[in-house]
Amino acid sequence: MIPITPQILFFLETMLFASVVFMHIAKKNSGVIFLYAAQSLIIAIALFYSSLKEASLLLVVAAVATFLVKVIIVPYFFSGLIKKHRLQFSVSTYLNTPMTLIVLALLTAFSYSHFFGPLTILAPDKENALSLAIAMVLISIFLIINRKGALSQMVGILSLENAIVSFAYVAGLETTAGLQVGILFDIFIWVVIASVFASMIYRHFGSLNVSVLKHLKEE
Amino acid sequence: MFNTLISSNIFFLSLLLWIAGAVGALVLSKNDRLANWWGNSFAILGSCVGLLFSLSVLIIGSTFSFNIDSTLPLLSLSFSVDKLSAFFIFLISLIALLASIYALGYVKHYYKKYNIGALGFFYNIFLAGMVMVVSAHNALFFLIVWEIMSLASYFLVIYENKEKENVQAGSLYFIMTHVGTAFITLAFLLLYRSTGSLDFGVIKETIGNSSPLIADTVFILALIGFGTKAGIIPFHIWLPNAHPAAPSHVSALMSGVMIKTGIYMFIRMFMDMLPDAPLWWGVVILILGAISSLFGVLYALTEHDIKRLLAYHSIENIGIILLGLGSSLVFWSLDMKPLAVLSLVAALFHTLNHAIFKALLFLGAGSVISQTHTRNMEEYGGLIKYMPQTALFFLAGSMAISALPPLNGFFSEWMTFQSLFSGIMASNVPVRWVFILAAGSLAFTGGLAAMCFVKAFGVTFLARPRSENVRHARESGFALRVGMAVLAALTLVIGFTAGSITNAVSGVVSDLSAFNSSEPAFFSTIQTVGMRNGFASISMPLILASLIVTMALTFFAVYLVSRNRKTKIGRTWDCGTTLGPRMEITATGFSNSIVTIFRGALKPTKQTSIEYRDEDMRYFQKSSTVELGIQDIYNRYFYQPVHMLTIKASEYMKRIQSGNINMYVLYILAILIALLFASGM
Repeated sequence: MIPITPQILFFLETMLFASVVFMHIAKKNSGVIFLYAAQSLIIAIALFYSSLKEASLLLVVAAVATFLVKVIIVPYFFSGLIKKHRLQFSVSTYLNTPMTLIVLALLTAFSYSHFFGPLTILAPDKENALSLAIAMVLISIFLIINRKGALSQMVGILSLENAIVSFAYVAGLETTAGLQVGILFDIFIWVVIASVFASMIYRHFGSLNVSVLKHLKEE
Repeated sequence: MFNTLISSNIFFLSLLLWIAGAVGALVLSKNDRLANWWGNSFAILGSCVGLLFSLSVLIIGSTFSFNIDSTLPLLSLSFSVDKLSAFFIFLISLIALLASIYALGYVKHYYKKYNIGALGFFYNIFLAGMVMVVSAHNALFFLIVWEIMSLASYFLVIYENKEKENVQAGSLYFIMTHVGTAFITLAFLLLYRSTGSLDFGVIKETIGNSSPLIADTVFILALIGFGTKAGIIPFHIWLPNAHPAAPSHVSALMSGVMIKTGIYMFIRMFMDMLPDAPLWWGVVILILGAISSLFGVLYALTEHDIKRLLAYHSIENIGIILLGLGSSLVFWSLDMKPLAVLSLVAALFHTLNHAIFKALLFLGAGSVISQTHTRNMEEYGGLIKYMPQTALFFLAGSMAISALPPLNGFFSEWMTFQSLFSGIMASNVPVRWVFILAAGSLAFTGGLAAMCFVKAFGVTFLARPRSENVRHARESGFALRVGMAVLAALTLVIGFTAGSITNAVSGVVSDLSAFNSSEPAFFSTIQTVGMRNGFASISMPLILASLIVTMALTFFAVYLVSRNRKTKIGRTWDCGTTLGPRMEITATGFSNSIVTIFRGALKPTKQTSIEYRDEDMRYFQKSSTVELGIQDIYNRYFYQPVHMLTIKASEYMKRIQSGNINMYVLYILAILIALLFASGM
């Protein structure tokens, strides 16, 4: 088998990182979901490779389950939501694109700073890939902050989960197959519940713009 | 070993019976009568077994420890019952037994109004919770059972939830009890930080290596935390509202027993777990005891709600117990262990006595309320004709709480006086003044308590009925009378056998490691209890005998003098007007002189409102109303400013609560980055 060198890992991490950056720029909801599916596919491939390397059937099951849940089922659910409520275009963001890109640059620079030094010690030869994974975590959180649409926020949360998985993978903090399947089950249930909530928000307010939820607050 | 095995099995059997009572009552909640019988029968059974268990520990000395490690770190289901725990289990079981017998009849008036199953459930859980509190041996486990006890009692306070004021009283109790729990948790966390363990035994062995500052901080935190539960001033504000709100048999348990769990933890922490107490700990407790006893009785005097009056007397009696406990800590710090034993015996004896007479008074008040449907004493009067036996039992409780011989309250107050007088004689000048003030406060409290119960008994049972409800009152049911009669008998029996009981309580004190080899400063035989230095001695049987002989002689003399006289019956001269209840002295009128004397502390208020027949002319009054009240100075000068400050802070914090999800996630990110910066620096 071809060994995964730090360069290959960095390349995969760059692709994941790029997917989150493009999520920030994408205007169409279908584009955001496609980027999430692509991001998840990279994660599933990495896990599948790891399972073959370990020659573990359970890990293969976990990788296949990751593929099924994250690449097929979740995008399918979200696509259904878009079709049902005709949500082709994402609702607005708080910052415009140039400002968003500046914040992304700052967050990426921050993730390369000495504050994350103790974390990069986990795998000194993959320092760049780890820093990029941390940047992906921060940028995913920022996606939740910056977007007003519930769908984008849900994708932001799932992207954050992918970022954490990728960090753990690069740092060599791989979990057991049972735990991975458990997490996937949690994600699946969460997506179902979040979709129901999104539908309820749409029915009540006629929009998936979460800023309208502030009207629920006691004045 | 065999005794210990049996003893531990009996202990768990009592817990099991209470749990069975709780679950069964809930299952049978659709049938009020069955739920009542099931819940209270199992409470009675559990209490009987609890009594048996505690007596086996107190008499045979079969103490035991039991430990099950849980999967959670630091938590273990750890029980340890020594003589001190057994003493409190005895107290809980005794009052629970009689309150539960009473409840069999009392709960009937809730049928078809409230859920009897829920009452049985929380009542049994409350009993089990209290017993587990005084036997827990691990701080985390203790906090869990403490919370079980507090929550069960909260649900009992709001049991009559159709009354808005009960729900409000419950909310105040809920907040205050959790404020207290927060302080207790902090105290335990500090102990854990110093000793690395939450096990009481390990803490006791290793806390000696910690700095005195740690012990002092734990003392302050525990004093506030457990003091809130005990109802000491100024942490008492929940007590006069919560105790009256609960059903009367629960009030009896809350006032008679639950608040004593705070006293138990004071003794356990300050005299068993923590190292040698510095002098100021005892002085602080003495001062708090003096304030609580004096102000408790003053507030009680101004009350005309019978249950609130009794609740304030609980604060007063907790103050008296603290006088004993504080004296004991002072003597211990001055290395006068014989006097420390005397003071602690006085405190524990008064704990026992207060549980009995306060339970009796609450049960008596409950009987009166169930017949008159009001807690307002101004609407009572003349109940002795309608409820003669209840009146007799209430009189016994009133005499006991007023410390009149030969009843039990007299003896424990006498012992407390002896410890305070010993403090005056034995300590240095600044501390001597604290003892002098404490003794003065106790003397004053005793007088005011007697006055208060002259009012309570007189206004309730004597003279003429002040409302129609009184005329329809009937004597309490059999179960109610049994509960009250046994308690009334106990006030006399414990007073009569005070010497023997002093020996038993002395055994509890000498079981504590601090007093293992200490000879007490007093001697006690069946007939006499006295100070070894000859300062004072007392014989309760002799007092009883003297009273009986005096009464017999008086009756005989009166008979001799009046045997040849004819009895004439005629109307009382009343200036030609019709005799009516308005001619009787009221509860408010009775206490008016005291309110006037203490107006600086009680801050009386008077609000007059007049309604005119013609609002424009204002010559002819239609009606006028005068509302008299007093202000709780702690409420006004401490709790209200704190409340205002909290409201202001909450208003400020509300600005952060924008209701926008994006903002909330931004807060998370900002905090994350700030923490990273902080850790990086």
